[in-house]
Amino acid sequence: MSETTTAHPHAPQHESHEPPRRRHWLLAAGWPRAFWMTGFFFLLGMGIVVGLRALGGSGYDPALDWEVVIVVGALTMAPLGFLSGIGAFDYWVSYALGRPTQPEDHSSHGAYSWKDYFRVNTDHKVIGIQYVTTTIFFFLAGGLLALLVRAELARPETNYVDTQTYNELFTVHASLMIFLFIIPAFAGLANYVVPLMLGAPDMAFPRLNALSFWLLPIAGIMLLSSFFFPGVGAGWTNYAPLSVDQPFGNVFFSMAVQWAGASSIMTALNFLVTIITMRAPGMTFWRMPLLVWANFTTSLLVVIATPFIAASQFFVMFDRVMHTNFFDPTGAGYVLGYQHIFWFYSHPAVYIMMLPGFGIVSEVISTFSRKPIFGYRLMALSLMAILVLGFSVWAHHMFVSGMAPYLRVPMMVTTLLIAIPTGIKVFSWLATLWEGKLHFSAPMLWALGFVTMFVIGGLSGVMLGAVPIDIHVSDTYFIVAHIHYVLLGGSLFTIFAGIYYWFPKMTGRMYNERLAKLHFWLTLVAFNATFFPMHLIGIQGMPRRVATYEPQFADWNLFISISSFVLGASFMIFVYNMIVSWKSGPPAPGNPWRGMTIEWLVSSPPPVFNFDEVPQVVGSPYEYGVKGARHAILNGDRAAGLEPVRAP
Amino acid sequence: MRRGAIVALIVIALIVAAITTGIAYFVDWLPEQASEERQGIDLLFWVTVAICIFVFAVVAAVSIYAGVTFRVRPDDESDGPPIHGHTGIEIVWTAVPTILVTVIAVLSAVVLAQNDDPKGTPLRVDVLAQQYAWQFTYPEQGGIKATNLYLPIDRSTKLILNARDVLHSFWVPEFGQKQDAVPGIVTTLVITPTKTGEYRLICTELCGLGHALMRTRAIVLSQADFAAWTQKQAQGGGQAGGGGGEVDAKGIFTANCAACHTLTKAGTSGTVGPNLDGLSLGPADVEEQIRKGGGGMPPFEGQLSDAEIKALVQYLTGSNG
Repeated sequence: MSETTTAHPHAPQHESHEPPRRRHWLLAAGWPRAFWMTGFFFLLGMGIVVGLRALGGSGYDPALDWEVVIVVGALTMAPLGFLSGIGAFDYWVSYALGRPTQPEDHSSHGAYSWKDYFRVNTDHKVIGIQYVTTTIFFFLAGGLLALLVRAELARPETNYVDTQTYNELFTVHASLMIFLFIIPAFAGLANYVVPLMLGAPDMAFPRLNALSFWLLPIAGIMLLSSFFFPGVGAGWTNYAPLSVDQPFGNVFFSMAVQWAGASSIMTALNFLVTIITMRAPGMTFWRMPLLVWANFTTSLLVVIATPFIAASQFFVMFDRVMHTNFFDPTGAGYVLGYQHIFWFYSHPAVYIMMLPGFGIVSEVISTFSRKPIFGYRLMALSLMAILVLGFSVWAHHMFVSGMAPYLRVPMMVTTLLIAIPTGIKVFSWLATLWEGKLHFSAPMLWALGFVTMFVIGGLSGVMLGAVPIDIHVSDTYFIVAHIHYVLLGGSLFTIFAGIYYWFPKMTGRMYNERLAKLHFWLTLVAFNATFFPMHLIGIQGMPRRVATYEPQFADWNLFISISSFVLGASFMIFVYNMIVSWKSGPPAPGNPWRGMTIEWLVSSPPPVFNFDEVPQVVGSPYEYGVKGARHAILNGDRAAGLEPVRAP
Repeated sequence: MRRGAIVALIVIALIVAAITTGIAYFVDWLPEQASEERQGIDLLFWVTVAICIFVFAVVAAVSIYAGVTFRVRPDDESDGPPIHGHTGIEIVWTAVPTILVTVIAVLSAVVLAQNDDPKGTPLRVDVLAQQYAWQFTYPEQGGIKATNLYLPIDRSTKLILNARDVLHSFWVPEFGQKQDAVPGIVTTLVITPTKTGEYRLICTELCGLGHALMRTRAIVLSQADFAAWTQKQAQGGGQAGGGGGEVDAKGIFTANCAACHTLTKAGTSGTVGPNLDGLSLGPADVEEQIRKGGGGMPPFEGQLSDAEIKALVQYLTGSNG
């Protein structure tokens, strides 16, 4: 055993070069500097606003307008100050200032202790773990908000919270889950796994990667702090003109989306460049694992679509703060324009939240069935088909919106067509099971749970694609049921599959299998009890986004609320299992699942630069059952023994 | 594949299909059907449900059979057969879903075209949605206004929808039809009631604090009753406009103010705006507030006639001002 697999999982093996000069602790990159620079930049923003308004004269009375100060000072400048202080810009700033080039000492790479997870770190494995833990924190916060929503809905009348608070609860719940959990959780898992699967030492742009991560806590804290500034209460869709009419706090949503969106775009660019340029020798596109394919297509979706939601939220904020009239009909604005721009992002976003999960499930099902994935090429092509079709269906969210009626049938046809590549994927997974040697370990349970739940969500999606049915159930609990079957039964289940699958690789320890299975079964049952009845009350006539409802739905809602609390409790098992196993689980071997992809060829956790030599890819990633077949070779014979190899 | 496997798959699929069909059949899924449009929607709904049951049964059968049959002990380290694909079967599972979604698409397009198309000469009703009330105007009946939607049975009604402030959405579950009311543009919706009775009319697009309470009733009358109603309203409305007739102040209050305000004597419990039980403003201030709005409350001038506003002020303050 080399030192690389002992206590400090990602500790660099190189002697660390001492930086040329040590700075005072208030000036060195880190939390103290982040703290004062956040405040300093806020004051700077405030100064700019007040100064310019004072210079502007009587047209800008009062000079101290707190709403503008918050937008410029608190939501724009302060985060930049935080990022500068924590050290996300240090290298670029010194480069831009023409300071002498410092030789790269990799001092920002790897983790010696837990403290190294709380600083700007350029190691994709550290960043991956930073992503996953941060997003799980926001998942728990978002889940808590959902339970508050369900507590309010347990009885038909108003119970615990006033209407504005209720609207903010479900809005922030959805926003956190989408922008701060599902999308970045996949980015985090892929951050850890994709470079390893490609046989690359890191992502293409490690500093950009670190910056992408540090934008996330900013966005999340902005959304959570919106409870102190009422106004994020127009639903996560933030439809104009209601969003423009909301109390001032709505700008917290507009800006949080910008920070989270910037993070997504930077990560996606990083993935694209990494996947295109950093594949190991022999890793042709048709030899890439499907997880890599999935993140390739997802990244394309992100870079093309995300600017649209950024624009939609800027427009809403400009309508409020600068009195533009993008969406104000009395000023010749076009209300439906908001929905077209918003959904042009937010429909592809559904696939941004789905395709990486498809990738994870393909890896898991193939490994635990001990069989090659069925129809590998068609699986990859289906991802591309979903990518292309995904951009042509956005208006199916708008069948009752009042858009041009002739748009409805074409959008219905493209929507239903997506069922075909999606169906191919589901059937291919099932065919992979066929005659396999199935091992029902926790990742496999989550993957199969995903397939069945996602089929239910997909089928209700086909029903929603049919325009006349959609007209009846639009904006009802049927939609709430559908979205949760797709995003909770779908995306969340695949995230759990991925976390359990790569937990040994990431932490070097095994999780408790018994607790993981208990977690799965409890979640599966409570999830269905919570969300399946919502189909019924939706069709029967219960609209979404209401705190009070007709007594006829009271019994079902009480049942749903109770189930949702069981669902919430089931995640506590997960948290407990993760914490305890990470601290004191049994050590994990390099390849606990006998997987074939490259991440299993190195130790758990991998050495700080992943590979001590460049892997040679020699075949397809899923050659289970083929005698002597290999996906990649590390240093000939020694690869088979999987011993960590020291750097030369 | 062994013959036994096929038989087992079919048996499991039939059991799953029977259970899901039972859930579809014995649970009362759809609300009462009260319009011609709902007939098309319901037909499409059941056809799609049948297709969904078929697909789900196939998926469940394969998963269950595979899970039971191909499961191995944890210490079994053997691999499955290296099957990489099968062109024939891949063509089948591309083609069959294509056919199924084509059926759904064609049927949907037909139902949609029918539901968009009024039968005969439709009755026109102008719908104005605002935070948090509905107002219905009958331009062909002398412009009478109502806060409940009165419709004649067996005649198509074309709703012309508009919104004053933010997005709202018109829905009567029993009619099945839904349409957003959008500020700045006009949208339309066709409804052909087939059953007399009173139905819930609800706003389904989040429109602010009073969204959950932005509700009224759709009342379907026989053609004769509808004619009588319009006649009575035309006369009553004329009188009210002239300033002398009986105006139902409590009715105006429950239709326009209930979503936001609590008032015990009207039996309302809205909590968006101030509780009006302890109202301390004088009649002039109350009238000003109703006419001009403010503090989050929309203006009602033009929504309510002068007589209605006067009646409301008196109802709220017990004084004529």
